[in-house]
Amino acid sequence: MMTRQYLLGELSLILGELQAVATDDAAVRAAGRLRQEAETTPPAALSPVVVRAVALTDRVCWDALARGETTTFLRETAICAELWEFGVCAGLLEDDQTSDEMGRSSRDVSCG
Amino acid sequence: MAAEQEMRVSEAQIAVHWREEEYYHPPATFIAQANAADPAVFERFSEGRFPECFKEYADLLTWDAYWHTTLDTSHPPFWKWFVGGRLNASYNCVDRHLATSRNKAAFIWVPEPEDQDAKAITYQDLYRRVNEFAALIRDFARVKTGDRVTFHLPMVPELPVSMLACARLGVIHSEVFGGFSGTACGERIADSGSHILVTMDGYYRNGELIDHKAKADEAVAKARALGVEVDKVLVWRRHPGQYASQSPMVPGRDFFVDEQLGDYRGRVVEPVSMPAEAPLFLMYTSGTTARPKGCQHSTGGYLAYVAGTSKFYQDIHPEDTYWCFADIGWITGHSYIVYGPLSLGTTSVIYEGVPTYPDPGRPWRIAERLGVTIFHTAPTTIRMLRKLGPDEPAKYHYRFKHMTTVGEPIEPDVWRWYHEVVGKGVAVIVDTWWQTENGGFLCSTLPALQPMKPGSCGPGILGIYPVIYDETGEVVAAGSGRAGNICIRNPWPGIFQTVWGQPERFVQIYYEKYCRDMASTNWRDWPYFAGDGAVEAADGYFRILGRVDDVINVAGHRLGTKELESASLTVEEIAEAAAVPVMDELRGRAVEMYVSVKPGVAPSRDIEQKVAKAIETEIGKIARPKNVWIVPDMPKTRSGKIMRRVIAGISNFTDVGDTTTLANPEIVGDIRRHVQAEKMARGEVPRDLSPQEIEELKAFGRAE
Repeated sequence: MMTRQYLLGELSLILGELQAVATDDAAVRAAGRLRQEAETTPPAALSPVVVRAVALTDRVCWDALARGETTTFLRETAICAELWEFGVCAGLLEDDQTSDEMGRSSRDVSCG
Repeated sequence: MAAEQEMRVSEAQIAVHWREEEYYHPPATFIAQANAADPAVFERFSEGRFPECFKEYADLLTWDAYWHTTLDTSHPPFWKWFVGGRLNASYNCVDRHLATSRNKAAFIWVPEPEDQDAKAITYQDLYRRVNEFAALIRDFARVKTGDRVTFHLPMVPELPVSMLACARLGVIHSEVFGGFSGTACGERIADSGSHILVTMDGYYRNGELIDHKAKADEAVAKARALGVEVDKVLVWRRHPGQYASQSPMVPGRDFFVDEQLGDYRGRVVEPVSMPAEAPLFLMYTSGTTARPKGCQHSTGGYLAYVAGTSKFYQDIHPEDTYWCFADIGWITGHSYIVYGPLSLGTTSVIYEGVPTYPDPGRPWRIAERLGVTIFHTAPTTIRMLRKLGPDEPAKYHYRFKHMTTVGEPIEPDVWRWYHEVVGKGVAVIVDTWWQTENGGFLCSTLPALQPMKPGSCGPGILGIYPVIYDETGEVVAAGSGRAGNICIRNPWPGIFQTVWGQPERFVQIYYEKYCRDMASTNWRDWPYFAGDGAVEAADGYFRILGRVDDVINVAGHRLGTKELESASLTVEEIAEAAAVPVMDELRGRAVEMYVSVKPGVAPSRDIEQKVAKAIETEIGKIARPKNVWIVPDMPKTRSGKIMRRVIAGISNFTDVGDTTTLANPEIVGDIRRHVQAEKMARGEVPRDLSPQEIEELKAFGRAE
């Protein structure tokens, strides 16, 4: 499909924002890897990448909070919300996808 | 037999799932003013009048020399349109409007920050800016006709200025979506052989000024690693005179455009008269780990096609204010923000930022303030605006006459919200289906003459003759309720000319599947394979179902190989994955996964199980692979594409075909010995396959 190309672009863009605001090097690298995957994955197979992106963003939010970096935390939660809305509206995430399911994907996300 | 029945049920289920909806008719007020309101237009574009029918589109342009041959089919499928004709795209979009519309806005640019004023750029101002930048890139950057220039620009007026400046010189532009990484940009620079990068220091998104120039450094480094040196990086500044990036300028390589332009004030560059067949731009498609595909679009055919479809399907009149809410970094923006609307001399709106910033009422405030009459966006944006601000449109006093959806199928309930709430029940909707490769629309409704049907994009548009084929090349009848592969039986002026630097890939991906005779110069033997699944209703309206390439049909469930592979890659140890079908007596087809592990990771049964489990989790139990094979490497082409056809042959004990083009042909024997010995030990040797099954395996993976 033609402009489903733009879904790749939007996901890449949001992951780029995460790369820019994350203060933890491992998270920056993980976001970079996911971004590259987003840019090279066919739109029809983008859903698992979005799931992992949400899981990663969720995790870096909590990590920032644990470190007491509230400004970073707030910026990352805004990105997480944007990512979630994008995923749902693009049909790449289910609106009722549970945090447990996300958590399962979170375990597959390497920040190393 | 059981498997065949299951497959038929599956196709029927797809069709039933997409129930036929009722028609909606355009209001009389729309019909009265429409560009195409006379049904005679259908006769003018009937198949009997092909290809000469497209003269009507070409006549919308100003030609330096008329063509002698409308369609040259002598070297299929490298079609040539309007052969002998000469024109300049920049002249057609800018200069020729000066006589009548010099002080009319060509663009209205809306910055994301609401406290920054919208800026109207008149045709006169656009003419000045295009000429000055054309002079700069010609005399300072030393580009010449036929060179490629890469842009990595956000949604700012400098992007169309740069495009039109290149077009003025006959230079091929290649815009990379501004949100992409520097790495992705660098890969496209390298593929196109571009030595000039045009970028910007920053742009606004979600209220923040994003550092964009930093990506240029990554892009240059990536291009260099791929063997292409970027000589100059031209940096537009979001606020001229102020640098918004933390990335230092590289002396001798990086230059601020606003500083250099001082030397070119008032310069006029004569538009270069280009052959109709000269490439105008490259537009790369993403979604593959192999070499990116640069779709090469022509000057005359492309411009004629987007002008014609903008006039008839977007119903653009010169007095309209037209807003396509897409990014110019995609084909939609090239065709329906820049080239189509400007060739018709209308006013095109460009918005810099996020649709919902600072709130979901923003698009409707813009529409109200600018008096937008035609609105154009994607279902994802529509869903987002409905979700975050379902009642917002009613608060604003805009009035659209026409709205477009583009890019993906739109669900009927979303369509109805778009029609009733955004369009306030009066705007017509054209739902469009097309692709980056196509230049312009392929299926839609002619808004004054064909009723709308939610969920269906409509019939083939004027001069386009679609058909649905099954896997064996038989026509799937309209109204049968069966799904198949939507193809276009004929060439059209907007079709891309080739994949830049990869003509064999162009033929293989888009034409080989249904070509009846590779030696034929008759266009009827060369249907264009779009790669999307579709159903055609009895009324000739198409409903697009999504990508069909590389689907494995397991007990009636169509599983995308990319989804299977993406799921496998969620396992940390996995470096690469490839999914192939294997014949299965019970389920028709089963999935087999081939994976390679990252350096330093030892293959293990545990990893195989992790892959199977990941697929179950991400996709479902039905997708659980029959086998997961850990292999030392995948058979690949020199461009890095995994040859699934070869692996499928191994899994099914059939001929793997020609392996001479592989970068690592020796791996085929290693994998075969390992996999087939294991299968024989397990008693998994399949029966003799039918000729159809063998053909299916041979074709596997070719549509990528």
